[in-house]
Amino acid sequence: MAYIKWTFWIVVWLLVGAFFHYTLPQHDIVRVVNTYEERQDLTDWTRIFWSVPDDQAESLINRDVQFIQAVQPNGKAVVYRNEDTGWRWPPYFKFDTANLYTEANDAISTRAAPEWYSVTHYGWRNEYWSIFPNAVAIKPVEGPDATIIPWVNIVILTVFFAIVWAIWVRWRRFRRARIDPVLEDIGDSFEAAGDSFDNTRGWFGRWLDSWKSQR
Amino acid sequence: MLGLARFVIIGFIALTVVYVSVSLYSRAVRRGKLEAEWDEEGMTGDKDAWVRDGLEAYDHSLRRKLILLVYVIPVVIVGTIIYVVNYG
Repeated sequence: MAYIKWTFWIVVWLLVGAFFHYTLPQHDIVRVVNTYEERQDLTDWTRIFWSVPDDQAESLINRDVQFIQAVQPNGKAVVYRNEDTGWRWPPYFKFDTANLYTEANDAISTRAAPEWYSVTHYGWRNEYWSIFPNAVAIKPVEGPDATIIPWVNIVILTVFFAIVWAIWVRWRRFRRARIDPVLEDIGDSFEAAGDSFDNTRGWFGRWLDSWKSQR
Repeated sequence: MLGLARFVIIGFIALTVVYVSVSLYSRAVRRGKLEAEWDEEGMTGDKDAWVRDGLEAYDHSLRRKLILLVYVIPVVIVGTIIYVVNYG
């Protein structure tokens, strides 16, 4: 029982973590090197990693997508897609894809005379599934080691954990007041009824105990 | 345009559910407080009428109208995000 419980909560929190890691904005300090447009087929399951920029895009099986190519200070390549999120999930309400494309083109610099930019993006890069993070904004920064404090993430995660904590505290209080006494009652009467059997307290009692608050 | 319509309609329905729930909860809390006050102070007479009067006063209070923030705050947040992402 304990293993199932732990596995369940680990899986739940991994999913929550993955959700926030995918959805919340992140900042990369990069040097933009190029932009390109490429036709993308959108018929397999990786469709969920691409946007639906407008109503027509819903029924399209392929369309052109803009990309921004960049290099990190450590020399590693990053490629962003550049797509409207429109009125859909995730709620970035990005409509300025064409403007961002122009800004990215304006930000291109060479290795000899690098200009560093902070690219705000969400999403994941996966080479095997050919998925790309979506760039949301591009801002110049002083240098390759500029610090960016993720205020949006701090606020959202604080509010989220406050809500989780509030629910958890209430659930515990409710369990101690309403469920524990009932379970104890059931356990007591079960034991009383089965006193002649030696192992009644066995799995059933332990299973009941697993529902009680651990204290 | 359809996207905007869908977003507004679904958002409005979701916020209405929240608004109705919060309203009912808040009124129930107020009722409980009024009843507790009556019992504590050992008042005599028509308890139901007294509680009804208290709830009527609550219906016209600022606290009751503050629940409308359930609609206002998300609209302000969405407006801010749209501004920051597209014009900021």
